[in-house]
Order: sequence, then structure tokens, then C-alpha cells
Amino acid sequence: MPTLELKIERLEKLVGKKLSIQDLQYDLQWISLDLEDINEEEQTVKVEYNPNRPDFSSPEGIARTLKGYYDLELGLPSFEVSSGNIQMYVESSVKTVRPYIVCAVVRDINLDEDEVATLMNIQEQLHWAVGRDRKKVAIGVHDLDKIEAPFRYLAIKPSSISFLPLQGDGSPMTLEDVLKYHEKGIKYAHILKDKELYPILLDKKDEVISFPPVINGILTTVTDDTKNLFLEITGTDLKAVNLALNILSTTLYDMGAKLETVQIVYDKQEKYTTPNLNPDKWEISTKYINDYLGLNLSIKEMIKSFEKIRMSANKSSKKDYLDILVPPFRGDIMHPVDFTEECAIGYGYFNLPKIIREGCIGEYHPIQKLANKIRTIMIGAGYIEVLNFILANTRRQYDLMKQEYHKQEVVEIANPISEEYNTTRTTILPKLMETLLFNRSEEKPIKIFEVGDIIKLDSKEDTGAKRELHLSVVSYHEEADYTEIKSTLDFLMNTLGCSDKIYIKINDNPTYLSGRSGDIYMEKNKIGEIGEIHPEVLLNFKLEFPVAALELDLTNFILK
Amino acid sequence: MTIKLEKQTINIFKELKKIKSNYVNASDFSKKLNIDYIVLMSAINDLKKNDLGDFTEKEVNQVSLNKEGILYLEKGLPERQLLNILLSSNHQELSLLDFLNLSKFDKKIFYIGINYMKKNRWIAQSKVGEDIKIVLIQEEYPETNIETFLNKFRKNNNLDYLNLSLEEKKIIDILNKRKLVKRENKIQRQIILTEKGKKVALSQIKELEQVSKLTSEMITSGSWKDVNIKPFDISKPGKLIQSGKIHPMIYLINEIREIFLSMGFTEIRGPIVESAFFNFDALFQPQDHPARELHDTFYLKNPKSAKLPQNKVVQAIKATHENGGDSGSIGWNYNWNENIAKKTLLRTHTTATTIRRLAEYYKNNDKTPIKVFSIDRVFRNEKLDKSHLAEFTQIEGIVIDENVSLSNLIGIIVEFYKKMGFEKIITRPGFFPYTEPSMEISVYYDKLGKWLEMGGSGLFRPEVTYPWGIKNPTRVLAWGLGLERLAMLKFQRADIRDLYINPIKWLREESYK
Repeated sequence: MPTLELKIERLEKLVGKKLSIQDLQYDLQWISLDLEDINEEEQTVKVEYNPNRPDFSSPEGIARTLKGYYDLELGLPSFEVSSGNIQMYVESSVKTVRPYIVCAVVRDINLDEDEVATLMNIQEQLHWAVGRDRKKVAIGVHDLDKIEAPFRYLAIKPSSISFLPLQGDGSPMTLEDVLKYHEKGIKYAHILKDKELYPILLDKKDEVISFPPVINGILTTVTDDTKNLFLEITGTDLKAVNLALNILSTTLYDMGAKLETVQIVYDKQEKYTTPNLNPDKWEISTKYINDYLGLNLSIKEMIKSFEKIRMSANKSSKKDYLDILVPPFRGDIMHPVDFTEECAIGYGYFNLPKIIREGCIGEYHPIQKLANKIRTIMIGAGYIEVLNFILANTRRQYDLMKQEYHKQEVVEIANPISEEYNTTRTTILPKLMETLLFNRSEEKPIKIFEVGDIIKLDSKEDTGAKRELHLSVVSYHEEADYTEIKSTLDFLMNTLGCSDKIYIKINDNPTYLSGRSGDIYMEKNKIGEIGEIHPEVLLNFKLEFPVAALELDLTNFILK
Repeated sequence: MTIKLEKQTINIFKELKKIKSNYVNASDFSKKLNIDYIVLMSAINDLKKNDLGDFTEKEVNQVSLNKEGILYLEKGLPERQLLNILLSSNHQELSLLDFLNLSKFDKKIFYIGINYMKKNRWIAQSKVGEDIKIVLIQEEYPETNIETFLNKFRKNNNLDYLNLSLEEKKIIDILNKRKLVKRENKIQRQIILTEKGKKVALSQIKELEQVSKLTSEMITSGSWKDVNIKPFDISKPGKLIQSGKIHPMIYLINEIREIFLSMGFTEIRGPIVESAFFNFDALFQPQDHPARELHDTFYLKNPKSAKLPQNKVVQAIKATHENGGDSGSIGWNYNWNENIAKKTLLRTHTTATTIRRLAEYYKNNDKTPIKVFSIDRVFRNEKLDKSHLAEFTQIEGIVIDENVSLSNLIGIIVEFYKKMGFEKIITRPGFFPYTEPSMEISVYYDKLGKWLEMGGSGLFRPEVTYPWGIKNPTRVLAWGLGLERLAMLKFQRADIRDLYINPIKWLREESYK
């Protein structure tokens, strides 16, 4: 989750109210902010905001909502935008590279130290929260007075132009060189991978403004003397670039700057102007909202709730409907249901009633019921229950157990983060051997069991694999032998009432000692194995005493 | 006739026989034999059982020296100390003040001493102007009556007042006035031998056999009556037993399972190998969502591809992603790709199974309300360390019902967490991609004295439920939490991996909290 550091003093100034850390600790949670950290000494707090609210990426954005919470300012915040005469020509060459650009002009900026820091930080935050690390959205902030309009957004051959990038070594670089040698270029080269043309922003004199989404030109560097800003936001999603521009420009507006539109001209014909700070309008049923929340708010109460969350709401022409206006910095409203939460936050989650609705009879899952039955029997037999991961490692599952790897029944993970886990288990026994290895210096006897899932490929299943409930049991001590584990199996089968259906056929299984192991059958089906573990397997797991073991597929015992 | 007694009792009996007088004071006797008083009295009780001995109790008016008295017994009374100083100073005559300085005595005690020196007629006092002088007036200074009597306390600091002579009683009065003694009434035990005890010859007494184990033979033959079963140190910790035991996590899971069942929820179970379709697409997660990326999800090489459910549903979900379909949403506005949905993976949350329950509801045309839960394993492609697992357990509950609301969800959640032992619960706004409205749950944990995030909840978005025919006013409430977070609070392990790697010592010793 993204986080933001807030200075209490600055927040107080923006909200227009004295705030204590203690109060914020309580209040912020009700507008869906999480207080992560408190620094009493510096009088700052670190807040975590949800990814659906990128407008919380600046103190200005948080203050807007907080003013509503404190009843200091209600309804839709207003933003003035005057129409400018700067044009941005978008050439069709960007269509397959990075198709969208939106811009704004910001005049008469007078930023203090904190505001400059916010301006830097909000770009970082938006790159993450809206821009998927610049892939979807990349932001450029420039000194407007260093360049001459109109501007052009186009895609060119990687080596066809050289410019001085920000944070470079002072020598001109081609776009290709930037991606190869510049720190930011190396970091973001993957976004332009396999593109024949690279996007570029040029001014009237063909000076490079920026090479999105990688780096700005040095020409437009913002300094203390900068008076007017040019904002450009490029990306692959029109909704996202507009949202980022709206959040950035409304934040600058709240810092006291003046906003001016830029005309975007596509292919020399299609025109529109940005930033577009007009609110979106939705018509929503009041009954729908009341039903969803379990409330019975009057129209008046509901309107107040929306105003507190900084939307505006008015009675619609349709009876019992509201016309709701959504501020331009909100990108998370996509369905009428989204207004239910807004209304609940405005009304206050703490005011919502707790209503219990009775009904339904709960039932155990037959598999869990069986698992618990087996557990009860096994602890009665003196075995300690263990739990292991279903994730497994092929070498330990097969090689160390002297078993062949049957590709046709084993799940294979395509992208394991470490080789430790590259598959899921098909039997539990190797996990118990690992458990013995891990505990081999503990007091003996060690008698353990696990009831749990294994996974096998199965083309009959729609996901291509099925889970089965297995039981595995091991006993580890000087005297452990076949008779001991056979007694355990007999006790288990007697208690389950199945001993008459169970028989054992001698087998030749490399995991076990020959002549002291067998396959367990239930009627005609093989359901498991039992025996003394082969000394080579013991040594593979660095064990020094005999191990008697069994593994059972419990599928046939499930009562349906 | 022989009498069987414990060895210790026999020794004490022998000692009692040696005593000439009719009785002996119990506490004096324990000191003399150097035996603990309690051990002595339990032996006397043994003798009593065999009618060999007994004890009586009497009230004693006891006199003893207090702390100051004991000090003077050692160093001499102040008057004797001052006399000795004067004698060794070779002064026949000395001014009172000089004497005070010479003696280095406390002023008050000095004058008490001078007073008694005068009373004993050891010194005379003369006044010359302002100056008072003292003069030794005897040749010899024998022990006074008081000093003689004090010596009686040397043997035993507790004297029985009633046994003292009249003259001694008078001295006690003086000592009492000088605040050197204390007097109190006490119960004293006097040990006596019975007539039988006096007559019995030591040869008639045999040592009682002590055994550490009660045998079957002893019980059936009745010989247990003649043996002494050796007492154990009953507070000593017992040896660790080799027993079977349910894993603490399973115990915890079963407790939570019972809470769900008691609230009318039925347990469900779904596949671990899951399709991206059920894990992501059906939850309205856009196909370019970061949560679907490789570093969070275990994708599978084998099985490579999953079958999707009936085409009608697949088309509905495709439409929901692209333009909202019939859900009333504006959708994500991109081209939904069926092949991405067919990818196989290890499920990243049990909500995939919840969706399968919605599918079943749709297929069977089930009646509402439906209340189900799951407590099951999920997987995230993370590196393991002491606070991260790649496989863990999720707890999840859902309700499908007509006209259920956020207030109903709060009602259920408060009840659920109360049953888990949390008294204070806060439900506040939150965000989850597939619920709206969403709600975070925090509980107050007394032991740490702080609020902890303990799960998320919400109503499934219409984009999630409409493809399965669950349409307003039928809605789905859902909430979930991680089992391990709860387990780490309860079991206080330093390393979260311990929950799944079975340190046997921990399993043998951990309590079910």
C-alpha cells in the first residue's frame, strides 16, 4: 500500500483547524486512511492510503476530504481553469508506441519548501498508484518559459536525435544511448522493449522537452526561478493519464497556482482540451443506497453524507433519485454501487448499526470430519501431529526417497521464486522424513503423523489436477520396526471399523526394506504403503535409527 | 510383641528414654537433638499412634532479654562498663563532664550508669562551684544481684516466670523498669512417654520397612499395612510424557471451525490448483492488474491450461471486464483475453473457492440464504523468511441472501470476533478490489494493549456476482482473515515458519491457547 508523510502543522494550515496527533489517530481511519507511524518529536504522521484513492497522494488531497469530515467545507471542491492558446500536436506515429498525451499549463507558481517537496513526491506516488511504474502513465513537469509552443508529440527512430537528458554527464545522448547508459534509461528500458520507434516531445524549434516515459531534457529543468509550469502526461490508458493530470493540477491549484488549458490536436484534426476538471454526473436511487447499507436515511441526510465526502448531490428529476457529481480527481467510481461506500463514509461507518440475521444450519465438510476422526485415533495411538507445506521440492520428494519422478502425475511450478519449492507434494511421507531430519537430535522415540492434502495431475478435473486427503505416519527410534507400524495400522483400521476390508500384499518398493514392506489394499484398490524405510533413504535424510512408516490415501474412507 | 516404627522415630524414642524427668520441652529437645521441630513432632505423633508417647500443652509466662538486655549481658551493664573505664583511667577523682567525654557514652545511658553506680555505693559525688566531681569510694566491686541473675539468661533466654523465686521476681521488676526484658504468654509443648512407652524395651521395637512402590502382592496380601510407603516430593515436576497431541494450529482451526458451525455456516472446499479465471477474472481483476503478476503468483507449467466453465458465464465475465456487461458497471475498457483466464496457478486466496460456490448456486438454482465458510491453504510466490510464508491458511466466510446489507455484515463480524475472544472491534472503511462497500476490521488485543488489523470484508461487487445470476437485491457478504497472524499472537513464535516445520520440542510443550 502506498504511504505518505504528513506534517501536522501543514495539514492544520490546509484544513484550517487545530489538529492533534491523538485526534488524527482516531479520525483518519473513518476516511479510509491508516495511520502507520507517528513521530511525536517532528510532529509528523505517516499514513497509508488505498490504491483506489490516488488523490490521497498529497497533503492537499487529504485535506480536501478531511475538511468534509470536520464539516468545514462541504460538497464539490471548485477549480478554476482558464482557456489557454498553447497547442500540442500529436502525430499518428505514437499510436502503436504510447498513444495518449494530456497537458496543462500552470501559471504564477509560488511554492514554499514543503510544496516543492510535495510536487516531487506526488509524481513518484502517481507513477506507482496510477502509472504502474510509468508503464501506463508517465509524468513530465517542465519550466514553460524555456520552451516555445506549439509542441509536438511523436515517435522517432531511436538513433535519429540527440539531446541532453536530466541527470546525464553533460554530453548529448541519442534515445538508444539513454536506454543503454543512463540510470533511468536502464531502469525503464523494458517499457519500450521491441518498439521500433520511441516517443519524444519537441517544442517549436525541435528542442527536446522529454523522452517519455524515461527522462526529461535538461532544457526545461524546474528551478527556484521557475514561474510557469508545463505538465505533460503520456501513457497507454486515456482514463489513467487524465486522472493523473487532474490529481496533479488540482494539487497545484490548491497550492495557489493558476490553471490554463492546452489544446491537444490528434492527426491535425481531432481536438480536445485538457485538463478537463468537469465533474462526472451519476443518477443514483436513494433506496438502492439505503438497502445496501441497511439504513433508512432521508434524502436530506443522504445529500449531507455525499457532501461530506466532497461530492455534490441534488434531488434528481426522477423521484427518489439523486444527481451526484463526482470531483475530477476521483478515478474509482465505475458503478452505482461505488456510491454506497461513499455514502457510508460520509455518514460515518461508526454510525452503522449491527444487525444480526438468523438462519441456516451449519454442516461439517465430510473430508474435514474424516480428517478430525483420523487425528483423534492417531493421538490415541500416541503419535504427535505435524503440519507441513503442500509446496515441495522434486529432489526431496523423489530422489532422496529412491522413487522415480513420474512427470505425468506431478504439478510443475513455472516460476518458482526459489528451487526450494518447485512442485507440490504427491505423498506426505517425504515431508515426515524431513521433519525427522529437522528434529533428529530431539528425545526419542519420535512418533509423528500428518493428515493433509496431496496434489496429483488428473485430466478429468477442469483445472487438470485434484487434491486428495492422505495420512502418513512415521516412528523413529532404536526399536522401530514393521510390527510396530503394523500394530498402528491395525488399531487405526479397527477403530474405523474397516479391518475386514483391508489386506496387505508384499511389494518391492525401493523406499522400503525388501521383505518388510507392502501395499495396503482396501477391497480391490491399492490405498497405501507400509514398511520399514530403506537404510539408504535413512542416510539420505541423515537419520541414524530405523524408521517404520505408512502412507494412506483416505479418499475411500470419506462418508458421503 | 514387636512394634514397627520408622527409623527416625526409633532414634527419637531412644533419646526420650534417656531423659530423667517426666517431660521435656519440645522446642528445647529439637534444639538439643538438632532435628527440625516439625520432624520431631511428626515422630511424636507416630509414638502417640503406637501409645508410646504423647505431648501436653501448657501456657508459659515467659521472660526473655530484649535486644538491649542481650547487649548488656555480653558487655556488662552501663554502671559496670563505666566503673571499668574509671578504674583503668587511674583517676581517683574526675569531673562528671570529663568522665562523660572519656566514656564516649550516649548522654542518657551515661546518666543511667552513674545513677546505678551511686545506688551500688561505688562512687560519691561532690559539688565544687559549678563543677560536679565523682570519687570512687570502695576497695572492691563484687558482682551485684542483678548481674548474678542476668547470667541465668546465658543458658536459655526464655525463663519461666512462675518458676522464679520471690527475690528473682523482684529483680525481674527492676529489669523490666530498666526496659531490658520482655514478658509474654506462650504455649509450650511438653513431650512425655506413656506408661507403655516407659516399660517397652528397645529390643521390642523394629524398624518399619520403607518401600517406594506399591506392588500388586502388597495390595492383595494386605502387607501394605505393615510397610511405609516412601513419600514423594509432590511438587517436583513430572517427567515429560511421550504422548500423542493435536498440532496447535489444527486445534486453533478446529476452534474457529466450531465458531462458524455454531453460527450456521457450512464448510466448503475447493481446488488448490486453480484457473486464473476463478482466481482473478471472476473477481473482476483486470488482466493487467499487478496482483496477477509473476512475482505474486505461482503459475504452473504442468498442468498448463484449465477448462473454463459454460460459455454463457465466460461471455458474461468477458463483457463485465470490457464494458460492464449487464452489471451496470462501466467496466475496465480493454480486450479480455480468454487464454490468460485459462492459465493454471496455485490459488492465491480461498475467494476462488467462494466463487465456485457462487457457480454452484447458479447451476443448482439454490435457495437463499446460503452461509458457507472455508479455512484452507493458499499460496503466494514469496521468499520465505521469519515473517513471510509462501503457503498459508486463509479463513473466509460468505453469506448469499436477499437484501443483506453492510449493517448485516457488521452484525455477523462483531459476533464472529467476539466468539474468537475479542471484545472490542472496530469496523472501518477499507479497500478490496472485488468488494464494495469494503470494510477493514481491527480488534483490541488486551495482551499487547493495542489495536490490530484482523481482516477484511465487504459486499461482492455486482461485477463479480452478476455473471452468476446473483443480482440486486440478492447480495453476497464476505469477510476473511489470515490464520497465521492470529496464531503468531497466540503462540508468540519468533519465526513464522515454525508453524509449518514442526520443532518437536515446541509441539510437545505448546499449550492450546
